[in-house]
Amino acid sequence: MREPHLSLNFLDLSKTFPGRGLEEGVHVLDQVSHRIENGRFVSVVGPSGCGKTTLLRIIAGLEKASEGRVLLDGAELLQGSEAIGLVFQEYALFPWRTTLQNIELGPEIKGVDKENRRAKAMEYIKMFNLSGFENRYPRELSGGMKQRVAIARTLIMNPRVVLMDEPFGSLDSQTRNGLQEFLLGIWERRRDTILFVTHNVDEAVFLSDQIIVLSKRPARIVKTFEVGLQRPRDRTGHECNEIRREVLKVLSEETK
Amino acid sequence: MKRITLLFLVSLLLLATTAHGQPVRIAYLQSDIHQLPCWVALEKGFFEKEGVKVEVAGIFKAGPELMSAFAAGALDVGYVGVAPATTAVANKTARVIVLAQVNTEGSAIVVKKDGKVQSIPELVGKIAVVPGYATVQDSLFRKALLKFKTEPDQVKIMVLKPPEMIGALRTDQIDAFIAWEPYPAKAVTMGVGRVLAASRDIWKDHPCCVLAADEGFLGAHLEKAKALVRGHVKAIEFIRQHREEATKVGVKYTGMDEASVRLAMENVNYTPVLGVEGEKEYVEFLTKLKYIKVDDIQMFVNRFMKPEFVNEIIKR
Amino acid sequence: MKKEHFLLPLVLILIWQGLSSLQLIPSYKLPSPLDIILGFKDLLTVGVPPGNLLHNHMLYSLYRVALGYAIAALLAIPLGLLMGWSPVLLRMTRSLFEVVRPIPPLAWIPIAILWFGIGIKSAAFIIFLGAFFPILLNTISGVLSIQPILLEAARTLHAKEKDIFLKVLLPGAVPSIFVGMRIGIGIGWMTLVAAEFTGVKEGYGLGYMIMTARDIQRPDEILAGMLVIGVIGLLIDIGLRATESKTIKWQ
Repeated sequence: MREPHLSLNFLDLSKTFPGRGLEEGVHVLDQVSHRIENGRFVSVVGPSGCGKTTLLRIIAGLEKASEGRVLLDGAELLQGSEAIGLVFQEYALFPWRTTLQNIELGPEIKGVDKENRRAKAMEYIKMFNLSGFENRYPRELSGGMKQRVAIARTLIMNPRVVLMDEPFGSLDSQTRNGLQEFLLGIWERRRDTILFVTHNVDEAVFLSDQIIVLSKRPARIVKTFEVGLQRPRDRTGHECNEIRREVLKVLSEETK
Repeated sequence: MKRITLLFLVSLLLLATTAHGQPVRIAYLQSDIHQLPCWVALEKGFFEKEGVKVEVAGIFKAGPELMSAFAAGALDVGYVGVAPATTAVANKTARVIVLAQVNTEGSAIVVKKDGKVQSIPELVGKIAVVPGYATVQDSLFRKALLKFKTEPDQVKIMVLKPPEMIGALRTDQIDAFIAWEPYPAKAVTMGVGRVLAASRDIWKDHPCCVLAADEGFLGAHLEKAKALVRGHVKAIEFIRQHREEATKVGVKYTGMDEASVRLAMENVNYTPVLGVEGEKEYVEFLTKLKYIKVDDIQMFVNRFMKPEFVNEIIKR
Repeated sequence: MKKEHFLLPLVLILIWQGLSSLQLIPSYKLPSPLDIILGFKDLLTVGVPPGNLLHNHMLYSLYRVALGYAIAALLAIPLGLLMGWSPVLLRMTRSLFEVVRPIPPLAWIPIAILWFGIGIKSAAFIIFLGAFFPILLNTISGVLSIQPILLEAARTLHAKEKDIFLKVLLPGAVPSIFVGMRIGIGIGWMTLVAAEFTGVKEGYGLGYMIMTARDIQRPDEILAGMLVIGVIGLLIDIGLRATESKTIKWQ
């Protein structure tokens, strides 16, 4: 179990993308502050284009914030820090690498020798139900499998915080539900700290300990919901519906 | 009676204009001093004076290329080496008839001045270049080797176009070249080369360039062909009688300096008389080299060369 | 090899032979297929010029191409990878290449002879020029066409610049590199034959052979020689394609 008081903290994060020529810049994030405790599964929902992805990219180090800081356990989070992992919506698997080679890429870059990283990767292949597909190429995998490979590739690095940017967005609802349950299964064993961006409120309610609702651009945090429900949760059950209704109400205010 | 006369005159006029309408397409070799009669005839209008309009339809780097133009039907007459003409006719790619000689001799084997090769046998294992396979120079070179008891297979014979030969000799990429004048002369005046053997040292009076006409053209315009030969003979006479002026024409058409052109002309013998015996030797030689296959040499030469054209003119 | 591949050429050849036999096509302009087959036999047994046999011509030409092409690939691929990777380098070198590229390799022949003489070096140089630019440009394009998201994924896995170059850019550009290599060898092979037309030191080469066949007025041997050149070009392309599918199993 991780220490509960250690956490990811972002303070007054603002981001403005510079305009081209005489155009005004696009103000995307407006003083977003929040604190996420270790081992929690937190979702971020908000209207389309509000800046959810930008928030993740700043924490991941792919963008620089115009203002504000990100702290991890009280210390400034450095760009490219190994403490952060990111799962993309479009999988971003390397087409010329097999499943096994994609998963072991992180350790390979780190310098882990072949035997060890192979063994570790095979562990994850088993964990993610990919046995038998370790030597297949991405083009031979289904969407659901590809996303599993992508998540495995991130988790094998054991990052302190796992960022996920609408990872199930391009999948059909059946596959999506299956992957949600699968992800929960893995998470419950490992208790990673997950920051999960989605535009699907059902998904957020099913998965998270906490749901952050962002306003439309420039985004602020409008409301946070604690979801104290026991897992496994009944998607169509009364309690989930309640929370869903609340969240949707706040969201619809924002999209007016 | 008047109407018939008028009709007759008009048709004669029409015939005359159509007959003289199309200029004769003539070609020659680039910077080959053997072709001087052609250039003199063009400059002094000797063809025109005989009533024939000509236009230059091609200037070629070597004989085989000129023969290809004949094959393509692009030429009516050409000044060309007798060896490439023989090869083309024997291999049935072009149908030409030789009407007159242009020159005899006029080539030379050139080596580097003060170089390693100072005699023909020393060419064994060295590189020598000719302007093309089955050219007069190719045959001449091999004859030279045999005359000096050297096997041609022992010399590396390559092809280069004459303009490139002097540069290649100068930079020691080749050890010898054989070319038509004025290239040997130029190599000498440039201080680059030395003549190892000239035509007269190898095969005295060997035929070289000839005036050839396309068979189809000859059949349709016999009178024009005769007129061309007359102009050609006059050009050769002019060269004999007005050497200085002829030299100037040579300078104009080769683009080379007067000293080289003068030296070159000393190695060339201009004559319209066909060397039929020499031609027979060529046919035998080319057959031996497997370039052509001619079974009845006499019949071939009879068909190929027509000394009548020149003999008619000289008799007068 | 499907039957349809051969049907059309076969029909055309039969028509051609028919027209030639009926003397409707003069043999000195276009030899009949039969003449060409006989000419091919002569190339094999007698040789052009007599004594220089076909297989030796082939070997020398292949050797010249291999040399020029190898140098082109060895220079163009790394250079292309670097130029695709570094926008600064690309900007600096672009104008230089764009001026040199349109110059046909054959236009370089006089200069090549001055610099390298008449021998394998100048022929290899001409081929090098023909093959270099397609390989270079396709390599650059291969790098530039790698999806940016893959570069970001690599960064999130903490890849340093060296890792990105070796593990992302290089493998990602491989399909385009192969395209460039196929185009390059095609142009290189075509250029070789024309480059040999100016004369070769060793006395062997397919282009040289054709030029000589022209000198001794044997159009049947010219066409037979042309066919040999075409077939070799085809075989080389097939070989490269096979290598490509073996190497790029992931597409």
